[in-house]
Amino acid sequence: MKYLNRFIINIAYFLNSSVWYQKKKRFFYNLLENDNYKYKKYFDIFMIVLIFSSVSILIYEVKKDVHDYLNLFNDYIISFIFLVEYILRFWVSSSVSRVIINQDEYSDLLGRDFDVWFVTRRIMKDKLEYALSAKAIIDFFAIMPFFHELRLLRVFILFRVFKLFRYAKSFQTFSSVLATKKFEFFTLGMFASIIIFVSSVLMYVMEANDPKSPIDTLYQAFYWSIVTISTVGYGDVVAVSKEGQFVAVVVIMAGIAVLAFTTSLFVSAFTEKLEDIKESKVIQDISKAKNIYILCGYGNIAKEVAKKLSKAHFNIIVLDKSSQITEEAKKDGLLALNYDPGSIESYKKLHINMSTQVRAILCLQEDDVVNVYTALTVRSLDKEIYIISLLMNIANKNKLLYSGVNELLYDKEFVGLVAREYVGQPVAFEAIHELRSENSLIKIDEVTITERIIHNFSVVGELENRKFRIVVLGIQKKSSARFVFNPIKTTILEAGDVLLVMGNYMFVREFIKHLAKKKN
Amino acid sequence: MKKTNALIFGYNEYGLEIAKNVVGEYENVVILSLDDMINIRGHDASFKVERFDLSDNWEYIDSKYDIKNSKVFCTLMDIAENIFLTISLRSAYKDILIIALANNAEDSNKLHMAGADKVIPIVETTAGIITDMLKKPILTTVLHNILYEDGELKVMQIKVTKTEFFKDQYPADIDWSEYNGVLVLSIAHEDMSREFIYSAKSKHNYIKNGDILISVGYKEDLDNFKNLVGEYV
Repeated sequence: MKYLNRFIINIAYFLNSSVWYQKKKRFFYNLLENDNYKYKKYFDIFMIVLIFSSVSILIYEVKKDVHDYLNLFNDYIISFIFLVEYILRFWVSSSVSRVIINQDEYSDLLGRDFDVWFVTRRIMKDKLEYALSAKAIIDFFAIMPFFHELRLLRVFILFRVFKLFRYAKSFQTFSSVLATKKFEFFTLGMFASIIIFVSSVLMYVMEANDPKSPIDTLYQAFYWSIVTISTVGYGDVVAVSKEGQFVAVVVIMAGIAVLAFTTSLFVSAFTEKLEDIKESKVIQDISKAKNIYILCGYGNIAKEVAKKLSKAHFNIIVLDKSSQITEEAKKDGLLALNYDPGSIESYKKLHINMSTQVRAILCLQEDDVVNVYTALTVRSLDKEIYIISLLMNIANKNKLLYSGVNELLYDKEFVGLVAREYVGQPVAFEAIHELRSENSLIKIDEVTITERIIHNFSVVGELENRKFRIVVLGIQKKSSARFVFNPIKTTILEAGDVLLVMGNYMFVREFIKHLAKKKN
Repeated sequence: MKKTNALIFGYNEYGLEIAKNVVGEYENVVILSLDDMINIRGHDASFKVERFDLSDNWEYIDSKYDIKNSKVFCTLMDIAENIFLTISLRSAYKDILIIALANNAEDSNKLHMAGADKVIPIVETTAGIITDMLKKPILTTVLHNILYEDGELKVMQIKVTKTEFFKDQYPADIDWSEYNGVLVLSIAHEDMSREFIYSAKSKHNYIKNGDILISVGYKEDLDNFKNLVGEYV
């Protein structure tokens, strides 16, 4: 026995530390259960197609003969795939090795012998818990047509339709919302059951001996009761005696109450959960997005920034502590969450990779204290992420820089610079601002030099910018990180350099195309 | 006559920043405060601080600083008061240059209607810089340096007085890079209209005396170019 225990423990440790085994298990777990895994949706689509194929074959064969190949496909291939899926789900539902290791460590700590029976019970309990869950039962029955020789089992193909619920997110949301009103639904169910039971018995007693009455059996009385209380009222079975009609009046009134109560339960459940549903939808959208800008706060400046970035088709997320402000951002068509931008938890809830999905964090709250706090929070999560912050009071400049902000914007200073430039050279100032305005036909753009461009054009003189009526304002050299203004014709182009070009927007577009075009 | 005074209405952070930036360019830089109790001790000695009210009585300030020959900045934080101040100044002095601060586009329109020549909308301007920094960081830095920093690269307005220099060539046909590294971006005409140097219009209109060339370059190159074609304005 001792050797058997040791053998079990060794295998558990081996599996737990095996990179290959854990990698495979994680892969199947992600594929089957992790909604954020990028390949899961393809697996889900594949399973949905199989389910529809299987049910379509079932419907078709009700009136017509089905080709043997289709039956083979339905009974064996689809069932086999479902069987594999069931086994994989059973496997990833809990970790057997983890239970054994935990028990071994526990026994070791307390100086007791390893209890193999306790471990077996624990493992069986975990696995049974999974096997008896509604989803697993549906999965299990969906495999049954595999044993198609037993004709009765063919009906289990219908369970394959129920499998769709596993892949339909909206149904999961629907059931989770209704689950919040479990107690109310139970009370309602009890009330309706009592009414149905009492009225069925009363109706049977009062009508069964009446030769004119269509109610002969308790089952017919029960059927009448269900049809009446649900307010459907087919009229195929009706009460004929006065006493029976009185019972019908009571059941009809109870039916109205049951219907009203049920409707209000559905409505209230959804109203209460609506925000959560919307929030999870927003998070789901965010987790898939790239090139995200996170706006912390949604004040006047943030609103303008969001408007301009949206116009340029960037992904923007607004985080704000105030629910009222968050609502405002949502009304403006933005993805907004009522999360505190100064809390690490807020960023964790987003399920995003800060370094690969987020381009910059903008601390746009009009309060330096809050911006310092937010910047520190973000910096503690990611050392490299680009942070821009507003500076409201020049005295707080160093504090914001220490908190990890890369770029500060002090609007008062900028107003001073603009005023100086405007009074000094109003014509030049207006001209340059007009050229930069979004409505201007003239565009100033950045063109990054790629290997392909270098292949075609090695020096500035070869660019033919004058042909396109383009002004080359300068080049930001990657190698020296220097800006070369008005470069001479022999300036060598290198990959990563950025050209600043200026011209009519159509010519700029043509010029960029010309640069990328392959030269013979 | 040369404007010798800069009058900044509004003793606040915006007013102080403007004062800091224009000091040295004017004989007198004066910040005028609405607040009686304002603590003006310890302020930068390079500009003066005076009190004013919105009673439309400009005699005292006019006698001291000659409003007609001043550049005026309206920077009151209360937008209603700022509009009232702008309209008061415009009704009293038809020809002065008024630069006003606004919070947003709506206030900006009202200030233009009240008679401001130039309005700086704070929110839009700041938001514009943030988005430019995100969208085109290199361009934003370069233009910021050219416009606002005291670096080597400058933008200058050069008024053409020697058209013969251009030898009857259309602006779009001239190879500007030949002129000692100076880039001409736009031409402003006497009727205040402007056009990009390579626009369709520039292909059909000769450069005339009085046109202003918006030129970018290093100081020395700009000076040489200026000597060839005209004068700075």
